[in-house]
Amino acid sequence: MGEGLRVVLTEEEIKRKVRELGETLSRDYQGDDPVLISVLRGSVYFAVDLSRHISTPFTLDFISISRYGGNANPFGIVRITKDLDVNIASRHVLVVEDIVDTGLSLNYLLRNLKTRDPASLKVCTLLNVEERRIVDVPVDYKGFDLPDIFVVGYGLDYNEEYRNLTHIAELKRPGR
Amino acid sequence: MGVITISREFASGGDAVAGLVAQKLGFTLVSKKTVTENLPVFMQEGSSAPVNPKKVSKNPYSKEYINALHEYIYDLAIREDLVILGRGGQVLFKDFPPSLHVKIAASKAQRIQRVMRHYNLGEEAAQKLIMEQERTKKRYLKRVFGVDWASLHLYDLIVNTDRVSHEDAADIIVKAYRIHGEYREVAGPREALPGAAEREDEGQEAGASFMHASEEEFARMLDFYRIKWEYEPRVFPLEWDSDGNVTEAFAPDFYLPEQDVYLELTTQRQKLVWKKNKKIRRLKKLYPDVNIKIMYSKDIKSLLRKFGMEEDLS
Repeated sequence: MGEGLRVVLTEEEIKRKVRELGETLSRDYQGDDPVLISVLRGSVYFAVDLSRHISTPFTLDFISISRYGGNANPFGIVRITKDLDVNIASRHVLVVEDIVDTGLSLNYLLRNLKTRDPASLKVCTLLNVEERRIVDVPVDYKGFDLPDIFVVGYGLDYNEEYRNLTHIAELKRPGR
Repeated sequence: MGVITISREFASGGDAVAGLVAQKLGFTLVSKKTVTENLPVFMQEGSSAPVNPKKVSKNPYSKEYINALHEYIYDLAIREDLVILGRGGQVLFKDFPPSLHVKIAASKAQRIQRVMRHYNLGEEAAQKLIMEQERTKKRYLKRVFGVDWASLHLYDLIVNTDRVSHEDAADIIVKAYRIHGEYREVAGPREALPGAAEREDEGQEAGASFMHASEEEFARMLDFYRIKWEYEPRVFPLEWDSDGNVTEAFAPDFYLPEQDVYLELTTQRQKLVWKKNKKIRRLKKLYPDVNIKIMYSKDIKSLLRKFGMEEDLS
């Protein structure tokens, strides 16, 4: 393990929780043929593993939205950079996130998806950091609550590094 | 009130674009679905000639159905700002000054691809479906209004979604509507609309002067995610002297109206924050219904780190 990393959730803990969430979702969405929307890129690892534990039929799709970049693009506004391929009107939709913290991007995403008239719209996140919340967003299914620490691994990156870790770790002094 | 009509070629993405335009402008979307849901109620309760909706022919070409539909849409337009998807809106509101008529188009090849993907059809079946749908649209406009659906002169703006995303198409329409509106104010007979500058600016509080760079950065971030905000909109009195004069007050930095929450950003070092904390405790005691969150220096740093930005706003 690299310098400055402290294990927060082991591979086994994650696997167990993902299986539990998959079982819960299989029950809750039984016969609904839901659309699982993985928010690129961080949530891909979680979404794929989660989908393996969902026993009811579902459709998997991906969406990507631009991220705030500060002064580099001071007048920009959030945009969908990769839209869904499936039509979600009248479908049961589950947004799959790796982490929900400020709620800013999820708030935008939910507002956008709502305009497409899904039958239902819920959120499943592996990690939830309530302390960092700026805007309230509904979290219907969550894996773990975390304090306000900077975490990487299992899809979460710091400048594209550490995504491939099979566990989740706190990055104490990123970039140094 | 304002009206944007959106006519679309089948599988051009017009439905999604219309939804986004309505969302961005806060307009009510009138679509086939909302008409189906609301028209029967209107027929019975809102119409100038109430009828039992069960007795009205479901045939979309029947005179009584068409009359009720048009009265319903006109009635709604008096009360609300609308984005009207289909329903011949471009003809219904042809001479209505505060309106913009938009057509969403896409190449046949693109639309065939989209239909094949969405409906899981082969190429031939997709082509057939597109032709059928277009025939229906043409027939409707011809029979109800006597106009040619393919005529480009019915529209102020045509957006081709081959290379323009739904999101960008919606932004283009919103911008066009605003430019169109401003032109009207200069050239048209209607009285000038107030607040043109605010409507022009997506962000709020244009020209708000911030006390600190971190506040400005934070406001930019909220703008980016389209979260409405106000800067120091309210001062909360905290202490009064014996004559009732306010001796201490507190003005939180931001208010997010959609969330009904005040945010106070503090970039001071943790040990210097106690005074502010004390004020906030007092505020919570005096105004228990006010929702306030404090973002400390470490919170702001973690936010900047999240967005991959330099930690230069100490």
